Amino acid sequence: MTALNLKLMRDLWHMRGQALAIAVVLAAATATFVLSLGVHQSLIATRDAYYAQNHFGDIFADMTRAPRSIIARVSQLPGVQRAQGSIRQYATIEFPGRVVPVRALINSVDEQGRDRLDLVTLRKGHMPQPGKPDQAVVDEVFATANNLDINGEVDAIIYGSKQRLRIVGIGLAPNYIWAIPPGDLTADESRFGIFWMGTKALEGMTDRTSAINALSLTLERGTSEANVIRAVDRLLEPYGGAGAYGRKDHVSHAFLQNELNQLKALTGVIPPVFLLVSAFLVYVVLTRMIGTERTQIGLIKAFGYSDWAIGWHYLGFALAIACVASVLGSVAGIWLGRGITAIYAESFRFPFLSFRIALPVFLAAAGLSFAAAGLGALGGVLNAVRLTPAVAMSPPPPPVYRAGWTERLGTVGGFSPIGHMIVRHIARWPARSAVTVMGIALSTGLLFSMMQFLDASTSMLDTFFFRAQRQDLSVSFTDPRNADVLDELARIPGVVLVEPARGIPVEIIHGNQRTRTAIESGPEDAQLTARIDADGSLVSQPAAGLLLSRHLADKLRARAGDRVQVDLLGGRRTSGLYPVASIVEEYVGERAYASEATLLRIAGDAAPVGVAQLRIDPAMRDPIIRELGAMPLVLGVSERAAAMLKFQDIIDRNISTMLFYYIAFASAIAIGVVYNSARILFSERAHELATLRVLGYQSSEVGLVLLGEIALLTIASVPLGCLVGYGLAQLMTAMFSSDLFRLPFAPQRSTYGWAIVVVLLAAIGTAAVVSRRVFRLDMVRVLKARD
Amino acid sequence: MREARTDNDHSRSGGVISAVAFRGTGLTKIYRTGDTQVHALRGVDFTVVAGEILVLLGPSGSGKSTFLNIIGGLDRPSSGSLTYEDLELTDLSEHDLTRFRRAHIGFIFQFYNLIPSLTAEENVQLVTDIATNPMSAAKALALVGLADRASHYPAQLSGGEQQRVAVARAIAKQPSVLLCDEPTGALDSATGVRVLEALEQAHRELGTTVVIITHNAGIAEMAHRVFHFLDGGIARIVENAHPIEPAEISW
Repeated sequence: MTALNLKLMRDLWHMRGQALAIAVVLAAATATFVLSLGVHQSLIATRDAYYAQNHFGDIFADMTRAPRSIIARVSQLPGVQRAQGSIRQYATIEFPGRVVPVRALINSVDEQGRDRLDLVTLRKGHMPQPGKPDQAVVDEVFATANNLDINGEVDAIIYGSKQRLRIVGIGLAPNYIWAIPPGDLTADESRFGIFWMGTKALEGMTDRTSAINALSLTLERGTSEANVIRAVDRLLEPYGGAGAYGRKDHVSHAFLQNELNQLKALTGVIPPVFLLVSAFLVYVVLTRMIGTERTQIGLIKAFGYSDWAIGWHYLGFALAIACVASVLGSVAGIWLGRGITAIYAESFRFPFLSFRIALPVFLAAAGLSFAAAGLGALGGVLNAVRLTPAVAMSPPPPPVYRAGWTERLGTVGGFSPIGHMIVRHIARWPARSAVTVMGIALSTGLLFSMMQFLDASTSMLDTFFFRAQRQDLSVSFTDPRNADVLDELARIPGVVLVEPARGIPVEIIHGNQRTRTAIESGPEDAQLTARIDADGSLVSQPAAGLLLSRHLADKLRARAGDRVQVDLLGGRRTSGLYPVASIVEEYVGERAYASEATLLRIAGDAAPVGVAQLRIDPAMRDPIIRELGAMPLVLGVSERAAAMLKFQDIIDRNISTMLFYYIAFASAIAIGVVYNSARILFSERAHELATLRVLGYQSSEVGLVLLGEIALLTIASVPLGCLVGYGLAQLMTAMFSSDLFRLPFAPQRSTYGWAIVVVLLAAIGTAAVVSRRVFRLDMVRVLKARD
Repeated sequence: MREARTDNDHSRSGGVISAVAFRGTGLTKIYRTGDTQVHALRGVDFTVVAGEILVLLGPSGSGKSTFLNIIGGLDRPSSGSLTYEDLELTDLSEHDLTRFRRAHIGFIFQFYNLIPSLTAEENVQLVTDIATNPMSAAKALALVGLADRASHYPAQLSGGEQQRVAVARAIAKQPSVLLCDEPTGALDSATGVRVLEALEQAHRELGTTVVIITHNAGIAEMAHRVFHFLDGGIARIVENAHPIEPAEISW
């Protein structure tokens, strides 16, 4: 090994604490990058392979009822590769001994195995056989959550009549990677499941002989999706087509895509913060190191080493740190990625999901580490390169202090000499002080921006479950009903209040913008449901015209006062122009609202009840649920309390698992920054500290010089940290938002406090560790060496 | 000037019998670096008389600085006993040793050791802030002739001026003892004389005991006594009945 490389190795060893502190920050960037991009790629690879293997459709359509012959006509549309029709039927599932409203979505499958799209992957057992109408395949997640297995039996109320189903298979399908019943905010795998039954059996049970109500098809390469959707809509119009849609509007696909987008957002925000801090730290440490090694640099150059040999030597210091960080970060990234993949495997229904990271991800992560370290090293390295031997070997000019604004500040504040030492040192090295303040602020900001997601969830929980939805039960019906059904429900003992609600599928068109959504309505004086604005205020239903959610309005580029065209999808096709009455800020979905009268005008029928919202006497819950389950017209029941619990459970799980990582990652920055600042400060001021000791100052008083500066910089970083956190949080909230839902930006004041406390603790702990050096200060040795 | 025995308890300073400031018995200091041991002091017995000017001469590595650091409470002996007045220094904790320095000792070093971020006056104030009976920083600076440079930072002062600030800082607390390690080592003769005059003035006006390490044998002429160090011990002690003024020193 060359002498210069030996020196590099020894320097690294000598400064191992500082080097490691930087490496950990850099490793956090690498780890986040590897983990988020790795999980992202793994999910996409898995999804695409799954879609391809099981022939997931490109376009989907629901209709009231169409003859099977429509499939052949759809197949003949130009650009359509394959088409397949099926029956999809919601049902209520009963478990003996449990009074829980459980819903199922039953899909028909061909008993002869002739299906070509959205194929079921069997985990166990077999598909339903011809002539065995009681056979069903159950989705794996639902089966696991409810302890169902092959040969198990469940009672299902399908289309108003009770059927006993025998489970012959456990499986999953690409159109149900994510499954959530309509109108629900969170998936609850124990209360909503996907079933598959033979076509003949389901035709019989739902009175749809040779008829279908769902269609999916694949496209030939290069076909325009929009054209085919239009053609399919035309074909399905007479059959109550609710409008065909592509993958991007498919619930399962969209939820997965939403998750993928969030992972991407994570990759875009967090690693850059860590990379920035690392570059700063490398800059500060290397500049100081080159400063102290001036004479050595001069000497080595005098021996005949080239400028670039010296430059390379110091760059090597930074690159060695990046090297350690890449390995450390990659290992941590793989480990964390595995954990997160396991969480995804629990909530998404994949037949296989392995965390595989392609080599380019590691290379890119390492490349970023090296780039950040190299960039940080640049300033110092160029100084070393430019230094001429003669200049380098003469002692550096003493640090010049001037009576600047800090001095005036000092006079005003009546500082002691120690106070002056602290303040003037900060002012003397503004870049380094700024790096420390910025670094700690970024750490606080990052922690805050992650922690406020919990506030966002809580706020969403509050708005959605406590203010917008106040019903105990939601009852959906097989078909829209007239108001008589409300009386029927109100007669059930224990039902306190019944309110109707209805949603109709429409396409809203404004200028060149068109969007499919649902218009919902309820009674004017509704007590069980409400529209809540982002600021928490109640938004009343407009007497005339539409109330649009902000997201929908933005999509349509419509403002209050504009007129939009509303086309009814499904059933009769009506079309009309309606004014936009006002806009409401909502977090979930992109919906429109109208009065019952307006809705009736759009729908053109006299059946105002799609869903009934019930308030019940809690003591009567079980008999009510039993009675609702037995009513033939009831399609399904959902319980607000259960959804709330589920949502709360998700928040709690997030708190326990993610908070640890947030705190660990943010602390890594704070510790890295404070440790390096304190070490540099100590080495720079060792001489002065020793002098103070000689003059009769106690170690604890001398430590104040060190801790005072760190404390001052840390305190200065607090407001900046809150500001950075506020900005980062808004950025991440925006990046995490999708068509499905948006996160409210509702940070609690206490969240700022917690972020600050965590970072302060990390800073104080680190500074305390370094300040122990003051107690070990060897005055004689320090003073013997000339400053 | 005449030679004296090394074990005398009382020494004459200007013909007056004075009290003992420091008394050392069998003072030994061994530095260990790795496997090698360096005997910096080998069982030294001595007394330092209160109010005298004592010069320590000797080649590099003969133990002068170790001696000075130990009596000043910056370092501890490996063995032996050391008292200041009635205080046994070897028994003191780190904390009490610091209090001893704070109360009694003023240090002056070859390289000034001023705090670069503090003005001359603030450097002196460092000491007056924690001393029990200090003079004002302004007065200390006036004593060394730097009243008009009080608000200058070290980088704005010449070497001699910086060393005089160091002297002012050392005398500001009115210490009983001034310990000076090569105070003129980095200065030219004219500046060196000014610094020595400042030390002599402190001795004269405040009765301070002054111990000076120097390589400059001429400075010994201003001392009451001279310890000649060799190989970690005091080889001989020379008394000087007629100390001269710093200005008369042949540099």
